[in-house]
Amino acid sequence: MKAVSLENVSFSRLGRGRILEDISFSIEAGEKVAILGANGAGKTTLLSLIAGHLKAESGKIELNGQPLRSLSPLERARSIALLPQIERLPFNYSVLDFVLMGRAPHIQALSQPSEQDYAMARSALAELHLEHLEQRSAAEISGGEFQLIRIARCLAQEADTLVLDEPTSLLDPANSQRVARELALLAKKNRTIIFSTHDLALVQSVSDLVLLLYNKKIMMFDNPSVVLEPKFLEKSYGIAFRMLQVPTAYLA
Amino acid sequence: MKAADNGRKLGRMILLVVLLIGVFILYLFIGRYPQLGFTSIRDLVNDTTTQRVFFSLRLPRALGAFLLGAVLGGAGAMLQTIFGNPLVDAGFLGVSQGSAFGAAIALVLGSSPSLAKNLGDRGLAVFVMSLSFFMALGALALSLFFAKKFKFGGQVLRLVLAGLAVSAFFSSLLAAVKYVADPLKTLPDIVFWTMGSLSAMTWQKLAGIAPLAAASILVMFVLRWRSSLLSLDDQVSRSLGLHPETERAIAAAFAALGVAAMTASCGIVAWVGLVVPQGARIIFGPDGRDALPASMLGGAVFVLLADGIAKNLFPGELPLGIVTALMGALLFIFVLTSRKTEMAR
Repeated sequence: MKAVSLENVSFSRLGRGRILEDISFSIEAGEKVAILGANGAGKTTLLSLIAGHLKAESGKIELNGQPLRSLSPLERARSIALLPQIERLPFNYSVLDFVLMGRAPHIQALSQPSEQDYAMARSALAELHLEHLEQRSAAEISGGEFQLIRIARCLAQEADTLVLDEPTSLLDPANSQRVARELALLAKKNRTIIFSTHDLALVQSVSDLVLLLYNKKIMMFDNPSVVLEPKFLEKSYGIAFRMLQVPTAYLA
Repeated sequence: MKAADNGRKLGRMILLVVLLIGVFILYLFIGRYPQLGFTSIRDLVNDTTTQRVFFSLRLPRALGAFLLGAVLGGAGAMLQTIFGNPLVDAGFLGVSQGSAFGAAIALVLGSSPSLAKNLGDRGLAVFVMSLSFFMALGALALSLFFAKKFKFGGQVLRLVLAGLAVSAFFSSLLAAVKYVADPLKTLPDIVFWTMGSLSAMTWQKLAGIAPLAAASILVMFVLRWRSSLLSLDDQVSRSLGLHPETERAIAAAFAALGVAAMTASCGIVAWVGLVVPQGARIIFGPDGRDALPASMLGGAVFVLLADGIAKNLFPGELPLGIVTALMGALLFIFVLTSRKTEMAR
C-alpha cells in the first residue's frame, strides 16, 4: 500500500516564485526515504506539503490512498507526524509532559490525558532509550536529547508516517551521531520515515530510497547506492564530491 | 507521572485550597465594625448591624474578591501559556484600556445634569459597568481583527502588536476624556475607577458579573491542558491536529470575557494576572493542568489579601489597584531573583 503519493505537484510562494514544479513520486508503507538537495531546493516545502501544512498550487497528494485535503487536521495528525527543523521551547516542561503532548490527536479537545496516554508517552521514551529523563526539565537536557524527545513526541502520536525535517542539523557531532543511531534503529521498524538531511552518512544508514531535488524538480529518486554518486551530487549541490568508504558509526 | 510527584502536586494544591479558605474566613471576620479587628461570633449572632455588615457588605465583597482574583490569575496564566510569553497579562489585547475608556465616557456622560437626573445613582453604576464591559469586548474584537490584518510576523507577534496598538489607542482616548472631564466632580471618579476597588460590590452587582466570570473560569479550566499544546510553535501544534489560530483566539476571548466583566465592575486591578501565574509555575510546574488552577486559586488568595489590606489598613479605604501593584511588584522582583526561575530555551 502506498503511504504517500504525489502527482504533478507544484508550489509557489509569494515573492519567491515557483519553489517546486511537477513533483511526482510515491512511497510504499514502511519505506525510509531521504530527501536531499541544496539549501533552498525546496526540501522543507516538500515535507510541509506532504504533512498537509501547505496547500499545493496544483497536483494531487494522497495519504494512505486518500486525498490529503479530504482529511481533517485530526485525522491527518493520526496518520502523519511532522518534526519541524527548529522548535522553541516556551516553558520548561518536564520531559514526560512534553512527550505526552504527542497524544493530542487521540484526546478530545476538552479532555485530559489518561493513564493510557501516559503509558504511550513512556513507551515512546523507552523506544528511544530515554526513560531516565522522564522527570527532567526539557530545558535542562542536551541538544541531542531535546531532539530525541521531540522525536519521541512524534512516536507518541502513533502516526504510521514520520516526517523529519533535518533531524541532525544544528547538533554537534556527538549529539548528531546519537540521534542518527536512534534513527537507524527506528528505521528497522515498520514505520514509514521521510526525512530531509545534508548528512550523507545518515542517508546511507537509514534510508531505502533517496530523492534528490535540483532546480525545483526531482533529479533522481532511487536507491542510495545509485543516487549517492559524486556526479549527481555535484550537479545538485554545485561543488565537487569525493566518496570515501569509512565504517559508519550510525549502524547499530 | 510518577506517583510521588503526583502526590506532591496534589498536596500543594490541597494546601493552596486550605490557604484560600483560611484567607477567605479571615477576610470575612476582620473589619472596622464594630471596631477594627476580629468580629466575634457573639456579635455576629446577637447584633443585627453586625449581621448586616457581614452578610450585605463583607460577604458579597469577599465573593467579588474571590472571583476577581480567580479570573485575573486564570486569565493571566491562560494568556501567558497560549502566547508562550510569561510577560503577558490580563490587560493584554487592550481589554483593560478599552474598559477604562468605556467607564470614563460613562462617568462623563453621566455627570451631565439631564442624564444624571434620569439615571439616578444605581442607573449610573449600571451605565458605567455596561459601557465599560462593551468597550472592553470592543477592544478585544479590534485586537483580534488587527492581528488578522497585520502583514508582519506570526500569529503570536501579530496579536501582541495588535494588543499594544489597541491599548495605546484607548489609553490616548482615556487621556482625552480625563482632559475634558470636570476636574472637581468627574475626574476624581475616573481616577479612582482606573485604580480599581471592590468597595462598591453588592449582591446585585455580583449577580450581574458572576455568570460571566464563572463561564470564563469554567472554560479556562476545561482548556487547561489544551493551553499547553497551544504554547508550542504553530507548526508543531498543527502537526498535533490543532487549529492553533482559531483555538488560541477562542481561549483568549474567554479569558478576556471574564476580565472584561470583572474590570467593568471593579476597575483596573493590575499585576495580579502578571505575577500570580509566575509563582504558580514555580511551585506547580508550567503544565497548564496544574499551573492554571493554581493561578486561579493563587489569584483569589492574592486579591483577598490585597483587598483586606486596602480596606482595613487606614480609616479611609485605599484603591485596591495600588495595593495589588505594590504587592505584585515586590513579588515579581522576588520571583525573578529566585533561583528556581529559569527561562526555557
